[in-house]
Amino acid sequence: MKRMICISLLLMFLTGCYDKVELEQQSYNVAIGVDQTDKEGTYEFTFQITNPEVGTTSGGGSDEEPNETVTTNGSDILTAMNTVNSFVSKRMTLDHTKVIVISEELARSGDFLQIIQAASRTTQIRRATQIVVSKESAAEFLNNIKPKMETRTHKYFQYMITRATQTGIIPDASVHRFFQITEGDADLFLAIYATNEHEEKKGEGYEDQYVAGEIPQEGGSDTQFMGSAVFKEGKMIDTLDGQDTRIAHVLDYTLDMDELLSTYPDPIRPEYRVAADYIQKTPAEVEIQYNKNKPTKIDVTVSFQIEVLAIPSLVNYSQNSAHQELLRKAIITDLESKANKLIKKTQEEYGSDPFYWSLFIRDQFIDVPAYEEADWNKKIYPNADITVSFNLKRLAFGKMLNDTNLSEVRD
Amino acid sequence: MKDYKTLTTREMFALVTLLVGIKFADTTPALLAQKGQNAFWMIPIISFLIIFPSFLLLIYLLKRYKDKNLVELLEKVLGRFFGKSLGFLLFILAYATLIFDSRNYVEQIKLLYYPQSPTLIISIVFMAVIFFCAKRGFEVIGFTSWIGLPLIKFAVFLLAALIFKEAVWNRIFPIFGSGVQVIVMEGVKNSSIFLEFFLLTIAYTAFKDTKFFRRGSYFGGLFVIFEIILFFLLYTVIFDYNSIDKIAFPFHEITQYINFGDYFTNIETFFMVFWLFAGFMRFIILLYLITWIFGAVFNINEFEPLLFPFAFLALMIGVIPENAIVNELIIRDLLLDISTPLFVLFPFILWIVALCKGELKKT
Repeated sequence: MKRMICISLLLMFLTGCYDKVELEQQSYNVAIGVDQTDKEGTYEFTFQITNPEVGTTSGGGSDEEPNETVTTNGSDILTAMNTVNSFVSKRMTLDHTKVIVISEELARSGDFLQIIQAASRTTQIRRATQIVVSKESAAEFLNNIKPKMETRTHKYFQYMITRATQTGIIPDASVHRFFQITEGDADLFLAIYATNEHEEKKGEGYEDQYVAGEIPQEGGSDTQFMGSAVFKEGKMIDTLDGQDTRIAHVLDYTLDMDELLSTYPDPIRPEYRVAADYIQKTPAEVEIQYNKNKPTKIDVTVSFQIEVLAIPSLVNYSQNSAHQELLRKAIITDLESKANKLIKKTQEEYGSDPFYWSLFIRDQFIDVPAYEEADWNKKIYPNADITVSFNLKRLAFGKMLNDTNLSEVRD
Repeated sequence: MKDYKTLTTREMFALVTLLVGIKFADTTPALLAQKGQNAFWMIPIISFLIIFPSFLLLIYLLKRYKDKNLVELLEKVLGRFFGKSLGFLLFILAYATLIFDSRNYVEQIKLLYYPQSPTLIISIVFMAVIFFCAKRGFEVIGFTSWIGLPLIKFAVFLLAALIFKEAVWNRIFPIFGSGVQVIVMEGVKNSSIFLEFFLLTIAYTAFKDTKFFRRGSYFGGLFVIFEIILFFLLYTVIFDYNSIDKIAFPFHEITQYINFGDYFTNIETFFMVFWLFAGFMRFIILLYLITWIFGAVFNINEFEPLLFPFAFLALMIGVIPENAIVNELIIRDLLLDISTPLFVLFPFILWIVALCKGELKKT
């Protein structure tokens, strides 16, 4: 008798799998695009759904496309997702969403904050999702992404963004960071800037002085991730090129960057440039002396190392100490002038900083009301007296002692 | 109760840690952050400082009146009527805590992991598990706690280690958050987040030796406060003050945020298992202790059959509040405010009465 009761009780659980979803019945969305429409409060949502069969060794539907991109209108992401089910056969989940793409037009209109707020209410969108601003409409951007090698879209986004972030040309723009900075209402948020539309920049540009779309490129995927979109209070106000984004990485201690290969002017033969690897072991040190009635003093010290990679001018910098001293000075001056230019621009044009420096003034206030009253982005930062000094700790020259002496070769 | 007693310090340590320590993984941080902003991690310190002397005093009294549990002590000191009334009052408050906290957990499970399932069904399953485990008796609960503890704590500290690199320590400034006054007030008002310490004293005589109980509660108490502060601090430095008060379940927010390298993304389900286990353990212990108090107040020696009606009643009342926000921010907040003075003061009342009666003088 007892056994019968037990068994019948267990039967109850068989019916109760409310949240059971077969893998087969789900489709995994990897990118969401949001565009503006003519009607206020209605947006165009684009979903890029990955095909899990592509790239697996088991074969099967190898002729299928790697992904499906669909677009529909709606007022928020979740309801639009349901509408999409009228032409997508499976239940869509957002758990694997890697990027949210918004068009520059929408970003500049300032509506983005509402959309992303609504999305964060659901548990489906992760805080690590990256925010990308596309020059063209988001729908166009997503439709034209045709990675040549990494055909699985979710891996494409993951690797593309991880790698580009490592080099510092695009910022880490997670939804998490967006909320911290936007809700903190003090600093500027940098989102990733990307496009498929190419428009070559006129005049000279060094390796990172581009924004997406300007980089001369032959072959490969058309999609370029470069530079950043500047958000102030949830609204996009400008774009920064790759170089400025790198400077922001250098000055912001919450952003990590692994590798920064860049060129610096050659002090002896100015027609050439010296290529070097910039290594920063410790984050920038920011010291703020808050003055209530006169400009606040902000002193930033960046300690870094340089490993010279190439000296196309073949000047002997490695063994001639006078030359070396010149090179040192040239590198420091170059970095300082870049940083100062960016800081000046943020103070005058943006009225706030993209370096998250407001963190460093917080310890000078006893509580939040006092801190908020001091008003970082209206009163303190735009009027602050900022000095940036770069401190070159070590100058290394790789494994070659000296370059070939050109005149001897051509003798 | 069975005659042989086998529980020792380590079981007591596990009981305290599981019963109180899981607070950092539910909505308590959200509740405290509403007022405390980025200094809300200090609130438990103040609460602990407020409540721990009372608890020590109670332990002292228990030690003096050898071999009595909480309710027996109350009766002995205050007399039959007042002792039982106070015991009953403690029972009511503790039971209310059980009801609303369990609803809170059900709500979390539903929202985060089973969005399609009805709240009622989850509540039923939840309560059923708790009931069946609680039925096994206190010894088994103690052993299970001890066995499960290393697993749960391993998961928790793994999470802390993984999230550590996201922390921005400057966010603890401005150091006093919304103001010293607010923090102290909140700390005092919400002291009852540690009220489970007092409930455990009902089991004072259930250990092999009462000194095991005392030792376990001291170690457990210290460990718990350390753990809670560590996690509250982590929430502060990860979310910052403007976002922390908008997040209902910071623990789960964190588990969703982290990755284990590039390959293992979306790993929150791993942590969910341990979290659920810890949640179940907490309510099993709580239900058992509360029923025990009830049994002691009404002289019911065989109180274990009462577990079922109490679990059922908790389930029924628990589903009444309309949504998690009402439950958390209004009812639970109110409950914590009400129970604080009682739990802080009653050991002092006992002590004063005992002193007046001159019972503390004889060795």
